[in-house]
Amino acid sequence: MTAEALVFWVLAVVTVGSAAVVVLSRTLIYSAFALLFTFFGVAGLYVLLGADFLAATQLLIYVGGILVLLLFGVMLTHKIYSLDLRSELGSPWDWVAPASVAAGLFVILSATALKTQWAGAQRPPAPTTGDIGRLFLGKFLLPFEAASILLLVALVGAAMIVRRRRDA
Amino acid sequence: MISLSHYLVVSAALFALGVLGLLTRRNAVNVLMSIELILNSANVNLVAFSRFAAGNLGGQVFAVFVIVVAAAEVAVGLAIVLTLYRLRHTPNLDEADILKG
Amino acid sequence: MEALERSLALFRPETTVAAGLLLVVAVDSIGAAWRNAAMRVLTLASLAVALVLAFELQASGAKGALFSGMVAVDPLGAAFKVILIAAGLLTVLAFTFRNSRELHGLGQGELFALVLALVLSSMLLAAANDLVMLYLALEMVSITSYVMVAYLKGDRMSNEASLKYVLFGAASTGSMLYGLSLLYGMAGTTALPGIQEFLAGGVPEANRFAVYAATLLVLAGFGFKIAAVPFHFWCPDVYQGAATPVTALLSVLPKAAGLAIALRFFYGAFSTSGASPWDLAGSIDWGQIVMVVSVVTMTVGNVAALTQTNMKRLLAYSSIAHAGYLLMGVVALSENGARGLLVYLAAYVFMNLGAFLVVTLVHLHEGTFDLRDYPGLYRRAPLLTIAMAFFLLSLVGIPPFVGFLGKLYVFGAVIEKGMGLYAVIAAANAAVAAYYYFRVLKVMTIDAGNEDRPALKLAFADRAWLVAFALANVVPLFFWSGVDQWARGALVLYAGGR
Repeated sequence: MTAEALVFWVLAVVTVGSAAVVVLSRTLIYSAFALLFTFFGVAGLYVLLGADFLAATQLLIYVGGILVLLLFGVMLTHKIYSLDLRSELGSPWDWVAPASVAAGLFVILSATALKTQWAGAQRPPAPTTGDIGRLFLGKFLLPFEAASILLLVALVGAAMIVRRRRDA
Repeated sequence: MISLSHYLVVSAALFALGVLGLLTRRNAVNVLMSIELILNSANVNLVAFSRFAAGNLGGQVFAVFVIVVAAAEVAVGLAIVLTLYRLRHTPNLDEADILKG
Repeated sequence: MEALERSLALFRPETTVAAGLLLVVAVDSIGAAWRNAAMRVLTLASLAVALVLAFELQASGAKGALFSGMVAVDPLGAAFKVILIAAGLLTVLAFTFRNSRELHGLGQGELFALVLALVLSSMLLAAANDLVMLYLALEMVSITSYVMVAYLKGDRMSNEASLKYVLFGAASTGSMLYGLSLLYGMAGTTALPGIQEFLAGGVPEANRFAVYAATLLVLAGFGFKIAAVPFHFWCPDVYQGAATPVTALLSVLPKAAGLAIALRFFYGAFSTSGASPWDLAGSIDWGQIVMVVSVVTMTVGNVAALTQTNMKRLLAYSSIAHAGYLLMGVVALSENGARGLLVYLAAYVFMNLGAFLVVTLVHLHEGTFDLRDYPGLYRRAPLLTIAMAFFLLSLVGIPPFVGFLGKLYVFGAVIEKGMGLYAVIAAANAAVAAYYYFRVLKVMTIDAGNEDRPALKLAFADRAWLVAFALANVVPLFFWSGVDQWARGALVLYAGGR
């Protein structure tokens, strides 16, 4: 087994395994920390795929931003001193239908992925940051600017929603 | 040899797990986490295709925008969860029952 | 650089609205007492200017891809923009912070900014020509809507509604994203024309399933935006929980933008450049799928509306049903179909906004959204009731109201394509719908109740808007040829090229 294959399998197991913990764990805080490992695993996969800029972005924003926000959400919506950070899951029978749907989805999507003839152009790993930057200011300029408006709206909106005092 | 299919199967697993979480979890923050799993699975697809199928960086640029959108969505979503919690002292969806269906 | 200048020259409606948005946010940070009035003026001004620019754009017949193929401009897109901007403008004009009891005392700046952002992102969505732009614009519309629904942050119902909206929406668009990634993988590009080329070139047997899967997932995202079954579950709760002016806006803008992009996506990505631009390549028979969705949607919407007593929920189910009729324009992928979609949407703006205005005014004066509190309104507020009659009859689709015009066009388009049974089912649905629209009218006019309550004193502005909307529901029929000309002139859809 080559080094690349070994790294891939480790990352795959970490990613999918921790994702399973996110979905199945009874304790919310365990889910949140498992999600951390999922994001790290995905970042590792990006590195393997040669997407260096994207891996860094993933770590900065997903782990450093979104996950922290989710942890705040977990912490702020429970009594701090209570250990009852559980999430009710109900009886095992409740799981049968959703689990079969999920399993079915996995099988169908994997089979489709293996069977389909994808486009054939390869892009061997190479530094991407400069090229992505050029694309942002070139071909993808409009989405780039539109995204700034999106962030403005999200910022104004989230602040407005959470603000306690009613504005006159 | 690690090929495109390997990555696609991993992303399919992430997608399936995300859907499972959507269907079973009662806590709003948990549902948000499941949605993040789905978004990450699509991102892995995009980056893998960028490397093995499209041969261009379109997929990676797309993935960056997805991350931006996810951040905005989580911010707004958590703001709403927080406000709901303040009003009802529970983030559980089951107990959000004023509205039917 | 010139390409950029050329793109900007054809992008004026959007830049105007964006400028208005930034100015409103800036003005809102000033603590002066006049800022509310200033923001309202700014919003109205930028929307009005944008409307004029959009008309000009449509008249100019400009056609092409802007910003390196990110958005497409064409008369059809311009016509959609006219409808989107007009809907936003009319909502801001008719629904104020004064006549909406739910909005009393809340901060104004954010809502104006959000309305502008919604109009802007709807325009971007309606014109999107690339998967990246499509996803980004769709999420912009969605996130802006989530925030607008959560505006009444002290209200529990509003909060729950916005939470359900966020979670449902994020799940649907996340799934759609997975589908988009599959399309990227097969075609090797994120540009819609590129995907069209790929699909037109004949899809190998091995790829068929992936294309089906991708299409279904994409339909999930579009279906959510349009509130089509089975992605409609958020709709009644959100419409009920949001402030009524927000509901009025959400009943039109995301729906229109979603339909525009559905039309563009299925035309652009799933058709060949054959003799007529509207011929569909036999690649994938998505037309059947959309037809089934359309039928189920109208049926579910109409049946559920039959038993509703909350006016906002009733109108929510009504708009779900109308989404079903509107989809007929998409299914009949033809010139007449697109024309039908345009006319129906324009009509829909006037009927829906009018109905929501009535509901808002009743809530302002009576404090209720419940139909059971509506008896006696004919005696107490005759103008209001007559206007509501116009809107309800228009929603049923009876001549001489503009709703009839809309239905006529889409039914015509579908029949022309030979889908007779489809048209019959839709007609049956319209007949069923008539029941609940007439029921509202009956309660308002004939039912006994509230005899001891005094007459409602409506403000002059409110009465003026009721009359204006009521007229807008009737007058177009007398200028039918003008409407037809406008719709015909719009029937150029851009596809292909970089």
